[in-house]
Amino acid sequence: MAVSETTTASVEKPNLIREAIIYILMAAVAITTVGPFLIMVSVSLTQNIRFIIFPIELIPSPMTLENFQTLFARTDALRWLFNSVYVAVVSTLGGVITSSMAGYAFARGNFWGKNAIFILFLGILIVPDTALIVPQFVVLSRLGLVNTYTALIGPWFASIFGTFLLRQAYLSIPRDYDDAATIDGANLWQNWWHVLMPQVVPTMATLAVLRFMGNWNSFFYPMIVTSKSDMRTLTVGLGTVARSGGDAGLDMAGAVIGFLPTLLVFVLMQRYIIRGISLSGVKG
Amino acid sequence: MAVAGSSQRNTSQFLKRLRSSLPWYPFIIINALVFVIFNLVPWVSMFRYSILKTDLLSTREFVGLDHFVRMVTDAKLHKAMLNTAWFTLMYIPLLVAVSLGVAILVNRPLRGMKAFRAIYFLPNITSVAVLALIFRRFLSPRPDGPLNFLIGLVGIPPQKWLIDVTQAMPSIVGISLWEAFGYFMVIWLAGLQAIPNELYDAAKVDGANGWRLHRYVTIPLLRPTAAFIIVIATIGALQVFGSIFILTGGGPVNATTTVVYHIYNEAFNFGRFGYASALSILFFAMILIIALIQSRYLRFGDDVY
Repeated sequence: MAVSETTTASVEKPNLIREAIIYILMAAVAITTVGPFLIMVSVSLTQNIRFIIFPIELIPSPMTLENFQTLFARTDALRWLFNSVYVAVVSTLGGVITSSMAGYAFARGNFWGKNAIFILFLGILIVPDTALIVPQFVVLSRLGLVNTYTALIGPWFASIFGTFLLRQAYLSIPRDYDDAATIDGANLWQNWWHVLMPQVVPTMATLAVLRFMGNWNSFFYPMIVTSKSDMRTLTVGLGTVARSGGDAGLDMAGAVIGFLPTLLVFVLMQRYIIRGISLSGVKG
Repeated sequence: MAVAGSSQRNTSQFLKRLRSSLPWYPFIIINALVFVIFNLVPWVSMFRYSILKTDLLSTREFVGLDHFVRMVTDAKLHKAMLNTAWFTLMYIPLLVAVSLGVAILVNRPLRGMKAFRAIYFLPNITSVAVLALIFRRFLSPRPDGPLNFLIGLVGIPPQKWLIDVTQAMPSIVGISLWEAFGYFMVIWLAGLQAIPNELYDAAKVDGANGWRLHRYVTIPLLRPTAAFIIVIATIGALQVFGSIFILTGGGPVNATTTVVYHIYNEAFNFGRFGYASALSILFFAMILIIALIQSRYLRFGDDVY
């Protein structure tokens, strides 16, 4: 009896130590990812702070929103914020709807040129974005579309990745649904909208979150197609703030403004983001 | 007579096919238009402009293959290619090791594990601009700057980080790593969780445990995941731009000028859109070749995908 108790104890003990070590390691990694954000928030609320100097007081006294007021007064940050929201919302809605439509057509349709178009789409998917940036700018400038919402939203209004994702989702729905809807007199559009689409809403939500985050955080393309300050998105505008070298309080206020919307989406939609990544391993 | 009949049948068959096809085209028309305007046309114009010398404003002359010849002697391009390779060679092994290590760490049914995973993912949801705003301050060369203070605690003297020729690129690697490891952790986790527990049980029955369990079960079964991650991360690493653009502007002394930054510079700072288009073709070919070699060598696509 006593012997058996000591053996269980000796098995339990290293497990506890092991667990403690694991928690310590995990906490250490967590500090490196959360720490910079906490300092960002703290500095953004600090008065007259030109540099971030360690050791730092995490809770500033007095706490102030001065940096945010200065940021909005001195830069076009409010306009950038509006641009980002507008562009991201329209891009996301547009991209998800067109992906749903095209995914449905590729899953159920039997039309002339289907395979050729499908292969062409796949071909486009392998071209890395950055290799196309210069020619995209050339084409847009010849069309007179530089500094327009059309240029900012355009490429996001359709998604090849989304089309493939939705095609897979539609393929997993039994054909019986289509047959029943056809017998009831539904046309292709009614079948898509009323019968099949309600069943792929989770996939569409996943796509929507990935697209929103991807669009909100995109930098290179929106920077290239906008040269006027009032057409910049928040990410691009904050990039110019970062390059201009103001004081730390102002910089961190900008960082907070850029960070909060994505944090909000992440907190609310985390499930879909993780699902989307593990589903595909591809962003946006 | 028979021929006429079959051609008539062909025509009616064609009409029938057309009639069944037509209702589907509206479903893909927006997609197709977007891809034509924003992908196909730029793709074609990349080749057209590669043989022109143009600043898109006044000059526009035909130069044939001059731009491709020029690449051979473009010292800045060679430097940029070396820098890109240097970045990728530092970044990929570190990324694979860190993200896999963290994934194994959090792949246990312990309390609070989900929160930890979410916290690790946090840097990945931020834009490069936010990242740059923060790290430009953290990597301040001042002795009382955040990172210099922290390394001072373990007795390392203050460093210059982004403004030092040898440290600038490793600093960019560090920032990219910080941003990306949570994302790849999620992919590793998906791979880890796809390994059936029975395999571990079977291996234990055969006498394996601890490290040998990972050596003979986890690692071989993660091979497809590893291949996928290496290919995806390499394609991303070759295209690194935002953090370099904001934090170093390719400097100091071209130490962080990557191929993408060089293309950007040629087009938008020097107005050489023809040469930049030619460089884009080179860059595209580079990525394609590297991805193909990796896919073959890593036997990506054998087992799972």
